[in-house]
Amino acid sequence: MSLDNRPVYTGGCQCGAVRFRIEGALGDASVCHCRMCQKASGNFYLPLVSVHSARLDWTRAEPKRFRSSSHAWRGFCAECGTPLTYEAPDGVALAIAAFDHPEEIAPTVQWGLEGKLPYVDGVPGLPAHATLEDVEAEHFLRELKSYQHPDHDTESWPPEGDHE
Amino acid sequence: MSDEITGGCQCGAVRFRCAALGRASLCHCRMCQKAFGGFYGPLVTAKGLTWTRGEPARFQSSNVIRRGFCEKCGTPLTYEYEGGTEIAIGALDDPSLAAPVIQLNPADKLDFVAGLHALPWRPAGENPAFDAFMASVESYQHPDHDTETWPPEEKS
Repeated sequence: MSLDNRPVYTGGCQCGAVRFRIEGALGDASVCHCRMCQKASGNFYLPLVSVHSARLDWTRAEPKRFRSSSHAWRGFCAECGTPLTYEAPDGVALAIAAFDHPEEIAPTVQWGLEGKLPYVDGVPGLPAHATLEDVEAEHFLRELKSYQHPDHDTESWPPEGDHE
Repeated sequence: MSDEITGGCQCGAVRFRCAALGRASLCHCRMCQKAFGGFYGPLVTAKGLTWTRGEPARFQSSNVIRRGFCEKCGTPLTYEYEGGTEIAIGALDDPSLAAPVIQLNPADKLDFVAGLHALPWRPAGENPAFDAFMASVESYQHPDHDTETWPPEEKS
């Protein structure tokens, strides 16, 4: 919460080169199945939340943008690729999973049904395994050390003396 | 042509081809969430992968994994480890070729993922102003097939 009791959200890309801060109430949260959202994010659909009347500040660097159509720009981190924004004449929307706490932003509507993939609705019913039970990946994942930016703001990043 | 498996990024600067697809999965881990800006990372093993236009930039997301993406438009493209390369399913020209068969790292699964299919959707015709806006959109996305040159000359 801010000093005047407005909700505050933070987030950023995987590598931490781009960070943002939102102050105020967010607008609609949605998922979009359209083929442009799929390809922009390499995914089955893109979960977005509208900034609406809240205040958005880029607190570390800013996204690079690709003009994906005559009406829209899509922002991403130039250092690690994380999809970050969808920017259209009616405002800016942010990728929900780029927030430090995406669990706070549940989508309420689906868009782009014409592009919906036939298997998406079956995802919750697929067999599920913890990562270390995945025999194809198990032995090397035990040694994994993450270089992902943590899910909170940091004074400086990456830590000195780290991997690069 | 029709049995070739192709794909690429949104802007078309990076294109690939592969001979066959292996296991398709989705991973709920927080690293896949953040790398994809999505609720999970959908990945399929790419066998006989070749880059036919450009090549991804890479981010070393951990000591054992590199993640490839298009530096021009940001599309997440690969997950690369010592055992091979997996491709982002949404980057395939025909993502229906790679129906996922397994979920990984369910401990990080976002609660609302299970209920997405039940969410309402906005039918066409409900909002004429929005429909008119959508009808006026001229896409600059690369088409879902290989091209001789891209972008078309008149647009570049």
